[in-house]
Amino acid sequence: MFLTNVTALWWVLLAVPVVIFYILKIRLKRVPVSTVIFWRQIFDEKKPRSLWQKLRHLVSLFVQLLLLALLVAALAEPYFSWEATSKRRIILVLDNSAGMKSTETAPTRWDKAKEEAAAVVQGLRFRDEMAIVAAGTQPRVVCGLTGHQKTLRETIAALPATDGPGKLADAIAVARRLVSREQAEGESRIVVVTDAAGPDLAKVLAEEEKKPEAERAKLTIIKVGAPAPNVGITQFQVRRSTVDPIGYEILVEIVNASDADSPEFRFELTLNDDRPIDVVPLKLKPGETWTKTNNYTTADGGQLKGRLTVKGEKGSEPLADALAADNTALALLPSREKLPVHLHAPGGNHFLTKVLEANSLVLLTLSKKELPKEFPAGSIKVFHRETPAKLPPGNVIVVDPQNDTDLWKLGNKIPLAIVTKQEKDSPFLLHVRLDNVILPDARQIAFTPAAGKPALLAASLQNEPLVSLIERPEGKVLVLTVDLDRSELPFRTAFPILVMNALGVFSGASGELREALATGATADVNLPAGEFVLKAPDGSTRALPKGPIQTTVGPFDAVGIWSIVGDKPVEEFAVNLMNKTESDLRPDESVPTIASAQDAGLVGGFGGRPVWWYLTIAAFALAALEWYLYQRRWIS
Amino acid sequence: MPLFDSDFLKKLEYLSLISKRVFRGSLLAQRRTMQLGTGIEFADHREYTPGDDFRYLDWNLFARHNELLLKRFQEEEDLHVYFLLDCSRSMAFGEPSKFDFARQVVAALAYIALADLDRIAVTVFANDIVADFPLTRGKGRILALLKFLENLEAQGEDTNLERVATGFIHRDQRRGLVVVASDLYDPNGFERGIDLLRHRRYEPHVVQMYDKYEKEPPDLLGDVEMWDVESGNARKVTVTEKNLKQYKQLFDEFQTGVQNYCNRYQLGCTRTSTELKFDELILKMMRQAGSVR
Repeated sequence: MFLTNVTALWWVLLAVPVVIFYILKIRLKRVPVSTVIFWRQIFDEKKPRSLWQKLRHLVSLFVQLLLLALLVAALAEPYFSWEATSKRRIILVLDNSAGMKSTETAPTRWDKAKEEAAAVVQGLRFRDEMAIVAAGTQPRVVCGLTGHQKTLRETIAALPATDGPGKLADAIAVARRLVSREQAEGESRIVVVTDAAGPDLAKVLAEEEKKPEAERAKLTIIKVGAPAPNVGITQFQVRRSTVDPIGYEILVEIVNASDADSPEFRFELTLNDDRPIDVVPLKLKPGETWTKTNNYTTADGGQLKGRLTVKGEKGSEPLADALAADNTALALLPSREKLPVHLHAPGGNHFLTKVLEANSLVLLTLSKKELPKEFPAGSIKVFHRETPAKLPPGNVIVVDPQNDTDLWKLGNKIPLAIVTKQEKDSPFLLHVRLDNVILPDARQIAFTPAAGKPALLAASLQNEPLVSLIERPEGKVLVLTVDLDRSELPFRTAFPILVMNALGVFSGASGELREALATGATADVNLPAGEFVLKAPDGSTRALPKGPIQTTVGPFDAVGIWSIVGDKPVEEFAVNLMNKTESDLRPDESVPTIASAQDAGLVGGFGGRPVWWYLTIAAFALAALEWYLYQRRWIS
Repeated sequence: MPLFDSDFLKKLEYLSLISKRVFRGSLLAQRRTMQLGTGIEFADHREYTPGDDFRYLDWNLFARHNELLLKRFQEEEDLHVYFLLDCSRSMAFGEPSKFDFARQVVAALAYIALADLDRIAVTVFANDIVADFPLTRGKGRILALLKFLENLEAQGEDTNLERVATGFIHRDQRRGLVVVASDLYDPNGFERGIDLLRHRRYEPHVVQMYDKYEKEPPDLLGDVEMWDVESGNARKVTVTEKNLKQYKQLFDEFQTGVQNYCNRYQLGCTRTSTELKFDELILKMMRQAGSVR
């Protein structure tokens, strides 16, 4: 038997005042009585055993000293020699994914998990070591192997739950690597504290089964929480309308991850919290998935919010189910600015005029006779047939050119050109299908060296360029050698989409729609010059590399609006849970789990508990016994 | 603070008046003796025998029935009241002490008796007779009695009522009422002493007093050194709840024993706590005597 805390033995000195008080106590209080007639009858009729009478006071002192000895021994934290020699190595995998924020286990599953983790730490014996791996969002070792319990306890206390997806399989793989790295002596064990929801654990266990016995990790799974019904938004995405430049398509998916009917609730869709877009009353069957696509038009942009609510006394109240993180989803709609466009079409062109007029973002000016000498500042120039010999700076669209310029020379007409080649990855041709579109009297075109090496976005069977992109230092030029009046292209939906894409590309990144991200995702950003931080929804910040640089931010481990902030906000990201596995709070019953660290035999060293615990219990029992004996006056 | 102050004397006068107006002296004095004699209250007739005084022949009866019958009258005499006052150290216990209380009660009863033209004497005792206030008569003697009582001190070891009674009955004195004012904590038992008085045709009246802390001892639990104020002996004991319960039971049994003993022999008995004022006790005794009549 050894002692962990030898200095605690100084508490033995408390025996001195105990003995002093004992000596003081045996100087009995003198009580006058008028007669001892009655007392004589009481005490003389039933005389106490003399030996016991003599020992009574000594027994009292002995009991008090024994009580002190037990408490001092407990403070000294004794341990057995076998505890010192059989070193254990425990890798504690803590599942801090979004599902652990479920509140069906008060206060949350995560708090319960931390309790269990703390119990495992408290049960570490002398020379035992433990490492902690967090399994939420992105597996990471939050505390390396150490036997210092305070460090471990503080790490557990400081570890937050995330809104990210659980990566238990990856976390257990990390834990395995830690175990194998330190496989020198003693027992190694991976302890997973999780709600056992999701398929990861079953897969890990199945893989372990396939391994030879010697290679299998000792895996202990402590389950926290109970099955809880939950309704959550599992999809919330916004994309641009393909036909409306300021239109959006909003995809919503809601799942009832429960074995029972959901309560009646509503899905509310609002823009900037004050502009209602849609309200849908819902009641989902067990396991039912509800999907809807909303169309919405706005040039203002803002924060689009989908919420699950119930009808309360004072309007809408949040749906109170076990998990709050998936009851709200956000998306950011950029505000759209007007785009100045000048169309020069001698004699006019109905198709081009209409397609530009139909675009609500376009601020259109027209010239039908002579080429204007100046164009509106920052405008996109569209030339139909008549083209200046030297194209003006800025972005230019040329349709059916009829004269040579500094960038090309025209050739003969192609009687019946059919688009057979298309650059699918070009942003100009996004959602545009030109396959087999007949383009009569398209013009052959030969680019001059001043045009550099133009990109061929669409070409005929003979590889004649039909849609080309010239990149000049002063601006891009999109050339369509297509006779709109004779072609079927204007009658296809591809035409307005092509024009809209061209305007979109020319207008630059402003108004770019960034899709809502799921927790755990990362995002690529181009940071301008300066210093920036990534600001989380809770206000905490993470430093980013100094710009200008292209970098990756994330993974995002909390739902809400994240932003890159420098002198001014650079970019924002809407982050939602959007994870069916995390929204499903029902544990996988096929996974063998243990209810607590106590049941797993991880809490104590001797018979499941440390020796000091038994000493403390013995001290309390002795104190109770002393109290009883004192009350009965068997001792004093 | 003096034991018998002016306030005390006023209370004595008040008690004396009350005893005359309400109970017409029924408490102690003007007692009819069992002797027949020259009183004025007719008792019965008896046959005439030669030598009887002709003055007591009932001539009316002789005229009607031709029978010589003699009228008998009940003789009245003044009563002798003896006070046996316990001054053992156990009587000094309590606040106020039982001894002070006993002296006040004795003084009050003596005053009432003197006011009723009875004769009183006070015998002070502990393990034996300690002091005497001789037989006296008349209200004028009350101050001497008070001075005598005031000069008394609690003394003497274990109370021995038998020895005291033995000494008392061997005195050459008339029979009468004997008021025993004591806590009756006699290690040999109080009964034998009272029995002696009873057998010698005295009429004992027991006034037994106790302190409230004797009935409900406070602060006694645990290890204590019990000090007997009467004997001066100390004893180390451990008092448990059970012991305390036993004590209370024994004390109650003792009290009940006193009452039963007096009832058995039709003796006057007054048991009281010293919490009661002496004048209230006297009134209580008067009420008891009144109810008897």
